[in-house]
Amino acid sequence: MKVKIELYGASRDFSKQSFLNFEVDKNSTIKDIRNRLIDYLDEKFNGNENYKKIVNSSAFCSADNNIVSDNYKITSNEKIAIIPPIGGG
Amino acid sequence: MLHTKIIDIKNSKLSIEKAETFISSQDYGASIFFSGTVRNQNNDQIVTGITYDSHDELVIKSFEEIYYETSQKLNIKNKSVFIEHAKGYLSLGEISIVVAVACKHRDEVYVLSRYFIEEIKKRSPIWKKEHYKDKESAWLKGNPILHEKD
Repeated sequence: MKVKIELYGASRDFSKQSFLNFEVDKNSTIKDIRNRLIDYLDEKFNGNENYKKIVNSSAFCSADNNIVSDNYKITSNEKIAIIPPIGGG
Repeated sequence: MLHTKIIDIKNSKLSIEKAETFISSQDYGASIFFSGTVRNQNNDQIVTGITYDSHDELVIKSFEEIYYETSQKLNIKNKSVFIEHAKGYLSLGEISIVVAVACKHRDEVYVLSRYFIEEIKKRSPIWKKEHYKDKESAWLKGNPILHEKD
């Protein structure tokens, strides 16, 4: 199934676009998305460790604007936002 | 009463005057206006500007959650609160956030104003990319988001 990862903050450096589209297995979870992102960074950015740290320290937000845990099951075509460490104001 | 908004600075600017108009009421005897502005240095670097990024829906949700929890946690029920945060590129001296609060008494506004800005820093998904005089721009490190269930 397809999932769209919306990029925010430091994760915007992962792509020239503001999102990434992944094809993932049915019943995939946020943990799977995290691993898929790491694979993507290995492939596209030669395993950039700073980028991987961002993924590992990020939260994720569901399409209905809730911060979700690593066990959260993603639905087909769901938009998930990656929420890197924050610091506004 | 609560007003919240993310301001895309390509279209508009933040202003204290707008906040004053919103919170002004004969019901309240005390008000505080907090504004955050872009300063010219950070961590020994010369800063020339900051780009703010925001997950708008989640930010507004966090502002509303903080507002409603102040009734229970701080027991401040009668209040008027105005919060706006900028999104996009800001030059030195420009306003990135306005938090204006009005209550009956001064004790309440001091507590409330401080509570809002500290909680926003911890819970609202907003990011800063600093631009420097002599080096490449960089996203600030930040802290993992805290949310209502934490």
